Amino acid sequence: MTDGSAPPQPGRRGLIVKVWDAPTRWVHGLIIVLTALAWWTESHDQMDWHIRIGCALLGLVLFRLAWGVFGDANARFASFVRGPRTVLRYAIKLATGAEAEAGVGHNPMGGWSVVALLGVMAAEIGFGLFCVDVDGLESGPLADRVSFQAGRAAAHWHTVLFNVLLALIALHLCAIAFYGIVRRDNLIGPMLTGRKRVATSAGEPQPARRGSAVALGLSAAVAAGLALWAAYGFRA
Amino acid sequence: MGRGRRSAIFAATALVVVVAASAAAADVLGVIQARQGHFKEIGKAAKAMSEQLKSPTPALPGVQASVKQIDALAPQLLTWFPAGSGLPTGLKTQAKAEIWTKPDEFKRDASAFADAAHKLDLVAAGGDLAAIRAQAQVLGQTCKTCHEAFRQRDD
Repeated sequence: MTDGSAPPQPGRRGLIVKVWDAPTRWVHGLIIVLTALAWWTESHDQMDWHIRIGCALLGLVLFRLAWGVFGDANARFASFVRGPRTVLRYAIKLATGAEAEAGVGHNPMGGWSVVALLGVMAAEIGFGLFCVDVDGLESGPLADRVSFQAGRAAAHWHTVLFNVLLALIALHLCAIAFYGIVRRDNLIGPMLTGRKRVATSAGEPQPARRGSAVALGLSAAVAAGLALWAAYGFRA
Repeated sequence: MGRGRRSAIFAATALVVVVAASAAAADVLGVIQARQGHFKEIGKAAKAMSEQLKSPTPALPGVQASVKQIDALAPQLLTWFPAGSGLPTGLKTQAKAEIWTKPDEFKRDASAFADAAHKLDLVAAGGDLAAIRAQAQVLGQTCKTCHEAFRQRDD
């Protein structure tokens, strides 16, 4: 996939192509950092910061969902959410070692991993907004809209989903390690630089649709606005 | 004593033991349910109170009413944990065994809670918001201290 301003350059072996646009990479990086901080602050009794960080993560996830519709081709859900047959075929190829060619963008299994991570993250934050602690003293920004008992139930699911999220993250890291070690396909580099070297046999990359600056600005503004509004309990 | 008579006595004794045991289990269940109900009342009141105190313009009568509820329940806390109402029954409870193995520490934490609740009631009556907020923090800390030591964490 190419980027209008940077045409594919011939590398030592094959072509260097643009894989991930800057918004996708930044959101990915910030989600990693803020998720770690959310974990740390919660386990060190810094609930005020935990809640602020949770709201920032809400903004990032909302932006990523919008960017999944308006962003660059590789960031779009439509480009990487594939049907079960495609996923199964890919899984079989992967298991038998048939697919040697390193792909560009999300592979059919990785696409669902993104959907699962974002979905669980969204649900985790959603429950977080309504959480009440056992003492009834610490609470999410929307907890005053629900009863103590409902807030406690939200806290229960917030804990359960955090463990699900950890499991998905572990799976994600294992997949990255698998591609790096077994398939000799470095997935971390492109997520940092946005670029990837592909074999010329992959063929000339197709010109890809890009997310416009207007879409970027609007998505970011709406996501940030909604997250901030939620942080204030949808008041004012 | 005839054989039939002896087995009748045995059966009757067994019946009494079974009935007594299940009655005791039912009692413990009742104790645990009542205890959880009381803590939920406190939680509800604390939630209502802290929501008001977090707002820039708290409704003082609401805060005072919630604090009164907490202050009324807090001194009873020790009576909600009779011996035998802990883990060994196998019933679902987050009360740790330490409540009964370290009764002095448990009593100390429980009375710290009751004292803080009572003081908050007095401060709330005074109507000074900054003072109420400060004492509410003190009260919250007594919840946390005791829960840390004597309540199983949620998961």
